[in-house]
Amino acid sequence: MSDLEYEQNLWPRIKSAFRVLVAFTFSHVGVCGLVVGYIICGAFLFQMMESHEVEPMLKEVRQLREETAEKLLSIVLKSNTLEEEEFFRLANVAIQNYTYEIVNAISDGYDGEPKPKPLNWTKKADSIDRKEMPWSFTGGFLYSLTVITTIGYGNYAPKTAQGKAMTILYGIIGMPLFLLYLSNIGDILARGFKWTFSRCCQCNWTFIKRRRIDENGEVIEEPAQEEEEQITVPISLCLTLMVGYIWGGGLLFAEWEKWSVLDASYFCFISLSTIGFGDLVPGEAVAAESLEDAIQYSFVFCSLYLLLGMALIAMCFNLMQEEVIAKVRVCGRRLGCAR
Amino acid sequence: MSSRKGRPVRPSMRNRPHRSRSWEDPERMMEIETGRHTKLKNCCRSVATFMCTQVGVGGIIVGYAIVGAFGFMALETQDDSVADTVLKSVELARVRTADQLYSDYTEYQFNETEWIMKANVSLYAFQKDVVDAVKKGYDGRTSKEQWNFPAALMFTLSIFTMIGYGNLVPRTEWGKVITIFYAVFGIPLYILYFMNMGKALASIFKWMYIKLNSCNVVPQDEGGGTGQGSSSYRSRSGDEEDDDETIIVPSSASIYVLFSYICVGTIMFAEWEGWEYLDSVYFCVTSLCKIGLGDFVPDHYILLGTNIDESEEGNQTKLVINFIYLLLGLGLVAMCYNLLKEEVLAKMKQLKTDVKDVFHYVRHECTCADCK
Repeated sequence: MSDLEYEQNLWPRIKSAFRVLVAFTFSHVGVCGLVVGYIICGAFLFQMMESHEVEPMLKEVRQLREETAEKLLSIVLKSNTLEEEEFFRLANVAIQNYTYEIVNAISDGYDGEPKPKPLNWTKKADSIDRKEMPWSFTGGFLYSLTVITTIGYGNYAPKTAQGKAMTILYGIIGMPLFLLYLSNIGDILARGFKWTFSRCCQCNWTFIKRRRIDENGEVIEEPAQEEEEQITVPISLCLTLMVGYIWGGGLLFAEWEKWSVLDASYFCFISLSTIGFGDLVPGEAVAAESLEDAIQYSFVFCSLYLLLGMALIAMCFNLMQEEVIAKVRVCGRRLGCAR
Repeated sequence: MSSRKGRPVRPSMRNRPHRSRSWEDPERMMEIETGRHTKLKNCCRSVATFMCTQVGVGGIIVGYAIVGAFGFMALETQDDSVADTVLKSVELARVRTADQLYSDYTEYQFNETEWIMKANVSLYAFQKDVVDAVKKGYDGRTSKEQWNFPAALMFTLSIFTMIGYGNLVPRTEWGKVITIFYAVFGIPLYILYFMNMGKALASIFKWMYIKLNSCNVVPQDEGGGTGQGSSSYRSRSGDEEDDDETIIVPSSASIYVLFSYICVGTIMFAEWEGWEYLDSVYFCVTSLCKIGLGDFVPDHYILLGTNIDESEEGNQTKLVINFIYLLLGLGLVAMCYNLLKEEVLAKMKQLKTDVKDVFHYVRHECTCADCK
């Protein structure tokens, strides 16, 4: 009999275990973990695919420079009669061409020489530290994040064929995942915020209730819980929260990256609205000081800011939607009463 | 507002297939004849509202983009704009480098290796200047050449669709502030367009799908065949009320449409821009997904030294066509999103009942086995 009872209990237990598992994967922690894990996987993948592509570019630019120098030498030798005007004209043309080449190289992904080492020209230094490659782990992380959030700064972009194909696939799978994350986290944040808000307003609460009874002229005993459901956070508060988050982020980034506050706020807005021009990207100012760790930190900080901020904005939209729906409903009820 | 206005569109959409089907019923012919006038009126009215809402919102979007384009052109092409100062600084650097080279030449007149080393050093310094200038937005053009009208139009499009290519960005302070406000008002407008367009396209697509389906089915019925299709048709026409509600366009159909749209775009851009096909696909997908990395942009200005002015005219029409391609494509994405959502919801419901059944069945089996 105990076996039978055990058997009978087994199915519900398996069922509930299964349900718990599914619920967990789609729960807040599970989705967070999934998104972060997905981004980390993407970071490794892109790092693997793109890292080795930088070195030929550096060599190419170096070669270009040497060619230009040779050309200048030939100009010098040709204009041996030392006509200053002529020399300037020819040299200017050569340097102009060199400028075009550099601009084209930059549009192909060249990103400046890492750490100038002057007086090393003759050696043709080939050893470039792996650390100094643009596709560091954190760089890959930020790139993956900007793909699945559809920000797309474009300061790093894949140059290889497999990198591009991978980006397409990665985005197609990643974007629904991120939407899931947004709706999930937005939901829980909205609920938490609403709860806090209702607690904060508890002191005002009884007053509102009494007033409503007076207006109607008859006593309506509404259960407290139902009332709590009806609490809506005012739109102005949501807007203030969003503006505050962007402005706060602006102050932080201004401090961190040495931008002006306007630039930093502009960066925050452009990022959080998922426009992502990529003209201002964290890590640039710090890179000039060539502090490798600082770049990493600024990337991590930026990623965190973005992940949190987008959830916060999803929350605000969630709350605002609720508020608008509630307002419309109230309006409808009033109209109904009037008729 | 207009989303609510859009609602009356759907019933008329729904009615059309039934009307065409009921032509075959002789009993209904009379009814239709009498009601034709009012129906025609209704049809006209619904068409009018349809034009008003969808086309209206589309028109507002296009107008907003054009106004924004002119505004940004005016803002960014002021006399002391950043692009021009950067251009001047590069010019200065070039002259300085030439000077340096000349003085080096007079110094090391006949020592070639020494001179090359010196030239390399000064070229390196120049290169660094250029890289910095490019990061500040230098691409060899004055601000007036950068902010031509189609480019500005693409810029405004990339703001409110949240694509954000970033090949052309505001450099002035006012430009940045206005960009923020432009986005704040533009993005909700765009979302309205997105929703509206998605709904309208989805209903049109659904209607076409149903029509095509019924076209395939009817001849079988007339031929006296009692195949699968005719029986399903009969069962469907039995409960006409929620006919359309239950028909769900399979996801494969909408995905085919999107896929073919991307293919067309791929071929178009590959032919025009001389890109490889992979690059072209990459551009189309990243644009329609609103990622917009901006490493590939149609008519992305690349310095070639010469023939700057030659292809200017063709490029501008290309940019305008690109604008239309993107705006339509985003609407199409919205359509697919709508249809997919519908299907996924239906599938989820189905899955839920299935899983429930399976669990029920398994438990039942188990208890039965135990009993025996």
